[in-house]
Amino acid sequence: MRRHLSPSLAALMSAATTLVPEAHAQTATGADTESLVSYRFNEYDEDAFAPRPVIGSAERYGVISQQFQLATPVGTDAALSASATHEVMSGSSPWYVVQGPNHQPIQVMSGATIRDHRSAVSASWTQGTGSSGGTTYSASYSAERDYHATAVGIERSIPLSAALTLGVGGSFSHDLIDPVDAQLYDRVQHGQKNTASLFGSLAWIIDRSSVLQTGIQINSEHGFLSDPYKLVTVGDGTIHDLRPGQRDQMAWLVRYRHAFSRPDASLHLDFRYAQDSWGVTSQTLEAAWYQPLPARWQLVPALRYYSQHEARFYAPFFSDPAAHNFFTSDYRLGTFGAFSASLNLRKRLGQWEFSGGFERYHGATDYALGGSDAAVPAVVSYTRAFIGLDYLLK
Amino acid sequence: MNSAHERRLIHRFDFNAMGCPCALQLEADAEVAARAAAAAQAEVDRLDRKYSHYRDDSLVAQIGASADAGESIVVDTETADLLDFSATLHAQSGGRFDITSGALTRLWDLKNGRIPDAAAIERARARCGWDRVEWKRPHLRLGVKGMRLDLGGVVKEYAADRAAQVCRDVGIVHGIVDLGGDLTVVGAHPDGSPWLAGIKSPRDTSRAFAQIELHAGGLATSGDYERAVIVDGRRYSHIVDPASGIPVESFSSVSVVADSCLVAGAASTLGMLLGLRAGHDWLLGLGLPFLCIDADGNASGTLAGARDEGRGTRDE
Amino acid sequence: MRINFGAAGRLILVTAALLGGCATTPVQPWERGRLARWDMRWDPDPLQAAMREHAHFSKEGSTGEIGAAGGGCGCN
Repeated sequence: MRRHLSPSLAALMSAATTLVPEAHAQTATGADTESLVSYRFNEYDEDAFAPRPVIGSAERYGVISQQFQLATPVGTDAALSASATHEVMSGSSPWYVVQGPNHQPIQVMSGATIRDHRSAVSASWTQGTGSSGGTTYSASYSAERDYHATAVGIERSIPLSAALTLGVGGSFSHDLIDPVDAQLYDRVQHGQKNTASLFGSLAWIIDRSSVLQTGIQINSEHGFLSDPYKLVTVGDGTIHDLRPGQRDQMAWLVRYRHAFSRPDASLHLDFRYAQDSWGVTSQTLEAAWYQPLPARWQLVPALRYYSQHEARFYAPFFSDPAAHNFFTSDYRLGTFGAFSASLNLRKRLGQWEFSGGFERYHGATDYALGGSDAAVPAVVSYTRAFIGLDYLLK
Repeated sequence: MNSAHERRLIHRFDFNAMGCPCALQLEADAEVAARAAAAAQAEVDRLDRKYSHYRDDSLVAQIGASADAGESIVVDTETADLLDFSATLHAQSGGRFDITSGALTRLWDLKNGRIPDAAAIERARARCGWDRVEWKRPHLRLGVKGMRLDLGGVVKEYAADRAAQVCRDVGIVHGIVDLGGDLTVVGAHPDGSPWLAGIKSPRDTSRAFAQIELHAGGLATSGDYERAVIVDGRRYSHIVDPASGIPVESFSSVSVVADSCLVAGAASTLGMLLGLRAGHDWLLGLGLPFLCIDADGNASGTLAGARDEGRGTRDE
Repeated sequence: MRINFGAAGRLILVTAALLGGCATTPVQPWERGRLARWDMRWDPDPLQAAMREHAHFSKEGSTGEIGAAGGGCGCN
C-alpha cells in the first residue's frame, strides 16, 4: 500500500520512476502494491429523549454494524475493491408531533420497538491507477425488510497538469420501498425512487505540503420520497407524511489538507454548502488533526459543525392545511444545528493495523446558524464508537 | 548426478566497465544470450563514456567546461532525470549527498598518508555546493569556476538497471547483471528460484559476509573498505560531509535491496553519508531490507540474519 | 428545478478564479514526499468515512459527499 511507504522511500521511488520506469511502474502510477483486508465493528446509540414531553418510548435508535472490505491491485494498472456491510437496527423512531396544551410540540414515538437488519454489498473496479488518470466503475446493492436499493456509478480522474486533476462522475440508484405493516397502518404498499447524480471536482497541489480540492455535486430524486412510517398532525387529525415527488439538490465542497513536518502531522479542513428544491440549505465545517505518536501510534481528534435550515413544508404541526401542498414534521427536515467531536486512535504492528474511536454528536435547534424560533422536537444526539482491524497482504 | 543446478545453462559474460569487474549471467539460448550480452555491454559502455571523469569528450567534461566559462548548458532528458534524482537525494540527505562535491572527495582520497590542512579543505569547499547550482530543467548552470559534477554515485546503479532492461528487451527472461557488486535481476530462474547474491566481508574481501536471495529488483552496496585510510590511528573514509569538509565517521559498508538498483544505491549511499547513528535510523525508517557493517565487522540491519546462512529476503 | 444558484454560483466562480489565476512554482518530483503520506489523502480511512457519512446522511437533511456512488438505505 502506498500509505505504508515511508515519505523518504516514496520520494526516492517517485524520483526514480522516470529513469527506471519498469521497476517502479506501480509507484509511478500511485497504485497500491499490496492487498488490504479490513474489518470494522461499529456501534451507534442515540440518546434517549431529554426531559421533554414525549409520548411513547423515550429510548431511541441503536445500530450495530459490521463492515468487511478487500482491496487489491490487479496487474500493474488496475485495482479491485469489494465490501460487505451488515447492520442490525433496533429501537423506536419519531412518529408524529402533537400540539400540547400550551401549544408546545410534543413528540410521539413509534410504539413498537423494531428490530431489523440490513445487508449491503458493493464492488468497484479501477482501470488506470496512474498519473495519466483512471476510471472507476462501481456497483452496490442494499437490502432490508422494507427497502431494496441498487446503484451503479462511474468516476473518471483526468490530470490536467502536474498540479491540477479534474474529477467527473455520475451515479444512478433505483430504490424499492415496501413498508412494513402497510395495510395495518394504511401506508403506501409499494413505492419506488430513482436518483441520478453528477459531480465535478478539481484537485490542486498548491505546494509540497498542501493540497486543495473543490467540487460540485448535483442530485435529482424522483418517485416516492415521503416517509411511509411518519404521520403529520394537520388540524385536529393526522395524515401521512407527504413530500413532493421530486427533489433536486446541489452541494459545493472545498477540502484542504496541509502536511507539517517535525512532527509529521497534518491538518484536514472540509467545508460543504448544500441547497435543494425543498428549501433545505445546510453548511458543514469539519476539522481534523492527524498526530503521530511514538511507536507507530496515531491520534486523530476531529470537530464538526453542521447547520441546516428547514424545508418549506416542514412544521411540527400544521393548523391550516389549505395553505400547503406538502407536509412533514420529520425533524431531519427541520431547522437545527449540531456539534460533534470525535477521537480516533490507530496503531501499526507489522502487517496489522488496529484502530478504534468514538464520536459524540449533539444536535439542537438553537445550534442552527442564525438561530431558530421554531421548535423542532426530536433533534438527535448520539454516540458512535468503533474498533477496526486492517491486515496487509504482501 | 543430475542436480537442477547443473542442468541450468547459464551463460556468463565478464567484462570491465566503470573501473570495476562486471558480469552478466543469462539463462537462455546461447545465441540470444550473446546478443543480449553485446547489447547490455554496449549500454554500460555508453553510460561509462557519457558520465566519465577521465575522458575529455564526456558530458561531464563538457559541463565542467561550461562551469569554467560561467555559461549555462542544455542537458538531454536522461541527464536531466539523473540531475532530478540527485536533487532528490540532496534533499533527502539534508544536503550531505552532493554531486558537486567531487573536489572534496578527491582531496580526501589520501595517498601519502597526510590529511589535508584547513586551507586545502576551504579551497576544495569553495568549488562545491549544489545550492549554488542553477538547475531549471533542461538548463544547468554550475555557479562556480572549477566546479565539477560527479555522478558516480548514481550512474553505476542506473547502468545496472539499464543493462537488465536491455537484456529484457532482447528477450532474456532469466538473468542477473553485476556491475562491480551492484546487482539488478533480469528475472529469477525458470523454476522461480532466486539468484544468490553475496555481500563482501569488509575485512576479508575474498569472503562473503552474507548471502541474499534475490527474486527481482536490485542490490547495491556502498563501501569504503577499499578506500579508507588510517592516519595516526584514526580511520578516514572517503565519504565527506560537504558542510564541514571532513569525512564522516561511518560504516565500512551498507547494502540495500530495492525494486531497482538505482533506488538501492541511493539508499545505501545515503545510509553511509548520514553516518553511524543517523544512517542506521534512516535506513530503518526507510523500510527497505538493508545490512550495515561497521569498521569492527559488526553487522546490523534487517538483513543481518542472513549472515553465512544463505537465508535472505526480497521475494516478489 | 427551483434551486437558487445565486449565492452558490458566486462562491464557485470565486474558487475557480482562485485556482486558475494562481501562478505557483510547480512541485518538483523530489519534493513530493510529504504529499505521498498516508494522512495527506482525501480520506485516509475510507471505511470509517463511509460509516460517518452514513450516520450523518441518515440524521440530517443534506446530500452526501462528492463522488459517493453508494446505494441508498431506508434510513432517510
